[in-house]
Amino acid sequence: MPDHWGFVAAAYAVAAVALGGYWRRLVRLERDLEAPRLRAVGSRRRAAPRS
Amino acid sequence: MVTIVLGWLSAIAVATGMILALLIAPRELTQGNVQRIMYVHVPSVWVAYLAFTVVFAASIVYLAKRAPGADRLAHASAEVGVVFTGITIVTGAIWGKPTWGTWWTWDARLTSVAILFVMYVGYLLVRAMIDEPERGARYAAVLGIVAALDIPLVHFSVYWWRTLHQPPSVIKPGPATMPGVILLALLLNFAAFTLLYAYFVTKRVSLLRADADAAA
Amino acid sequence: MSFARRTWAIVWKDVLVERRSKETVNAVLFFSVLLLFIFEFTLGADRERLAAVLPGLLWLGVLLAGLLGLGRSFVLERENDCWEALLLTPGDKGAVYVGKLCGNLLLMALVEVVMVTLFTLLMNVEVGRALPGLVLVLALGTLGIAAIGTLFGAMTAHVRARELLFPVLLLPVLVPVLLATVKATEALLLGEPLAAVAHWLKLLGAADVIYVATGLLVFDAVLEG
Repeated sequence: MPDHWGFVAAAYAVAAVALGGYWRRLVRLERDLEAPRLRAVGSRRRAAPRS
Repeated sequence: MVTIVLGWLSAIAVATGMILALLIAPRELTQGNVQRIMYVHVPSVWVAYLAFTVVFAASIVYLAKRAPGADRLAHASAEVGVVFTGITIVTGAIWGKPTWGTWWTWDARLTSVAILFVMYVGYLLVRAMIDEPERGARYAAVLGIVAALDIPLVHFSVYWWRTLHQPPSVIKPGPATMPGVILLALLLNFAAFTLLYAYFVTKRVSLLRADADAAA
Repeated sequence: MSFARRTWAIVWKDVLVERRSKETVNAVLFFSVLLLFIFEFTLGADRERLAAVLPGLLWLGVLLAGLLGLGRSFVLERENDCWEALLLTPGDKGAVYVGKLCGNLLLMALVEVVMVTLFTLLMNVEVGRALPGLVLVLALGTLGIAAIGTLFGAMTAHVRARELLFPVLLLPVLVPVLLATVKATEALLLGEPLAAVAHWLKLLGAADVIYVATGLLVFDAVLEG
């Protein structure tokens, strides 16, 4: 039976893309969570009155 | 932190698993090298079932105790489970094309997994489409329990639908008896994918927690 | 108030409301008859093929009618601010679940009687000896559909896109029931004895027990707020 390495490559590529894609999503979510928090900390410091 | 350790461990494990699967494991006799897809397809379905079992348990805990941690665990595990289920289906189809001649057959396993996929996508939809987070968590938990209880029913019904009164005309993928190296490669990939699942879930749970803290 | 009395109160209320408005019953019955026409138009030319797909068509009709009727089973309470009244039901909310379930079963039974009658008349189906077995399959299958349908109906009553979410949730979960009922109906209509479909009947029985038990156990959580 012929070897169909193309199919093997396709299957592994699909898995890699799916898992990599999910990992990228997690990283992006993490970045989005950090960014507004840093901005909020900055604005709070600016808004608080210096006595 | 646990997450980072898990991340590196799983990366190493997956890499090792891939080397074993693609280079070290022997070429299979009847199917040829296409059979190597098994090393991705089978561990994926294993992780999917693991993920949905965790969803089941966490959902029960959430309904009983209303612990937000249980809700986050269920949510994360369902997400990761859907990813691995999708991988199972697509790799199964890719494996099927050269082996059986068509991209899709209503083979018992593929059909069961496809139904699983749709059920848990529905779970994620419930979370996405209900605005009040507390209600969404409750309803998702109910669905997580119902879907998990349905799994054995799906299995039996689909299997009987496919096999009774029908001559087995489909070659089941995977070798009947497993020589040592193939078994080792498969087991290692099981472990690697499970580690990857654990990493993804841990990270997702911490992100959900941070999200909840930020909203509070 | 005992469980049975509370259950009966819900059933009686729904039956009364339905008897006056006839909203749901009419719509669902009409829809089922319409389905029959469509089946005949699309598949009727080839009588043999029609006979082969008949079990599937019958259950497709039951399922689609169920989607209509079950999805609406809690909409009435939601629209008329009666949801809080449901919440205030004393004791275990399981009585609300069983009450709603019984109401839904009555509705579906009515639809099925009409459908099976019309099927046999319009499509010349030989039911005869298979009837008792058929009734059993219909009963077991309908209970499964209604059990999950009532639970999910309560859950989706508050969701914006209820008409979308309800079928999306319901259909995958009900695949085992659908497979079992269609296969059993097919065998029975071909003249096979009840013993030949025993495994399907057992699966349906198991599904019914699991679904109803789960509904009873989680309904308190569903009805909150």
